[in-house]
Amino acid sequence: MTVVRCENVSKVYGNKNGTQALTGLSVNIKENAITGVIGRNGAGKTTFLKTVAGFLRPTQGTVKVFAENPFHHIKVAENTVFIDGTMMFPPTLTLKDILQEAGRFYKNWDVQLAEKLFSYFALPCDKYHHQLSKGMKSTFHMIIGICARSPLTIFDEPTEGMDSAVRKDFYRTLLKDYLAHPRTILLSSHHLNEIEDLLEEIFIIHQGENRLHLPVDEVKNYAIGLTGEKKVIERICKNREVLYKREISHQYIYVVVKNDLSNGERVQVEGDGVKISAVSTEDVFIYLTQQKEGGIDDVLERS
Amino acid sequence: METEILSGHIEVDEKMYSQYQLADMFNINPATAAKGLNLLADANIVYKKRGLGMFVSSEAKALIIDKRKSQTLGKLVKEIVKEANYLNVSEEELVEMVRVEMREKGDSR
Repeated sequence: MTVVRCENVSKVYGNKNGTQALTGLSVNIKENAITGVIGRNGAGKTTFLKTVAGFLRPTQGTVKVFAENPFHHIKVAENTVFIDGTMMFPPTLTLKDILQEAGRFYKNWDVQLAEKLFSYFALPCDKYHHQLSKGMKSTFHMIIGICARSPLTIFDEPTEGMDSAVRKDFYRTLLKDYLAHPRTILLSSHHLNEIEDLLEEIFIIHQGENRLHLPVDEVKNYAIGLTGEKKVIERICKNREVLYKREISHQYIYVVVKNDLSNGERVQVEGDGVKISAVSTEDVFIYLTQQKEGGIDDVLERS
Repeated sequence: METEILSGHIEVDEKMYSQYQLADMFNINPATAAKGLNLLADANIVYKKRGLGMFVSSEAKALIIDKRKSQTLGKLVKEIVKEANYLNVSEEELVEMVRVEMREKGDSR
């Protein structure tokens, strides 16, 4: 089943000459799966998530969430929680008050879990939201996001400012609560290697478009690295799309290509003295979202 | 999981961990865990009982040993031989190194 369906969605902020954040994006998000929304800075992740949550109206295209147009829709709002770093809370309520009051907004709210997490992460009950540090704010938002148990749970870069111990605890908490209460979770992050074990699917947004949307294990096998003599590698790369290329020395070169070699080809390539290596999902992401040919080495060479 | 079966922690016809238990144990997505279980099922190391889960098959140990011998060990041996060639280590020298290592392991047991 599909919970979120986007078809050819574009979003331009402001007038016609404004910033184009989404460009004809189409994607279907699977029900009760954890999907990682990955993209470079300014790729359109937040715009996509806010459109799904019903905070933004797309300039073009259709968005359906629970089969409804999410923009200002009560049914969608009721079943969605959106967590990011800029959440606002009434300034007169203490943190403990907020945890109590949240139950009135979210029908599946688990107040006991909220209180247990609250004391585990040593948040101060009688303080106010604006008095928290960046990391503590993120921790507090995360508790709300998990305990709301909304059928559609959206985390937009939830770990900003958290130290690594808290981040690990957050991922573990999210996974355990998801196992006990499956729901559709969208999780955006820059740190794919940190979250990939948690995910079922990876959705890569690049320049406002759907660059790749696949189950995690298929992204893991998406590409392979080849290291070997230049001449040999160049022969292999003929008629193949090269995702990344780096010269190690004058004779040796490392390239990343799509993993479409047959077993026979693999044996042959290895026989030619080429070393085949796996390419991490994080590197696949980086190569797929490279702005221009070449990488940082080319920039540094010129200067 | 294979190591658990080899070491006898899970016996033949005993129930394998479920995808949810595995997800919890290894901190991974349950869909990934399910794919892992399916790989074991495809290799006949576990079998499915509808509605009950996965169980360890009678030939599980033999299959795992076989697979590891041909794949894991075979690959390592290939690498060792390759490295030995680079370093101009002779066949006798290499075999002797393996022998010494095996004897030491045996003594410490």
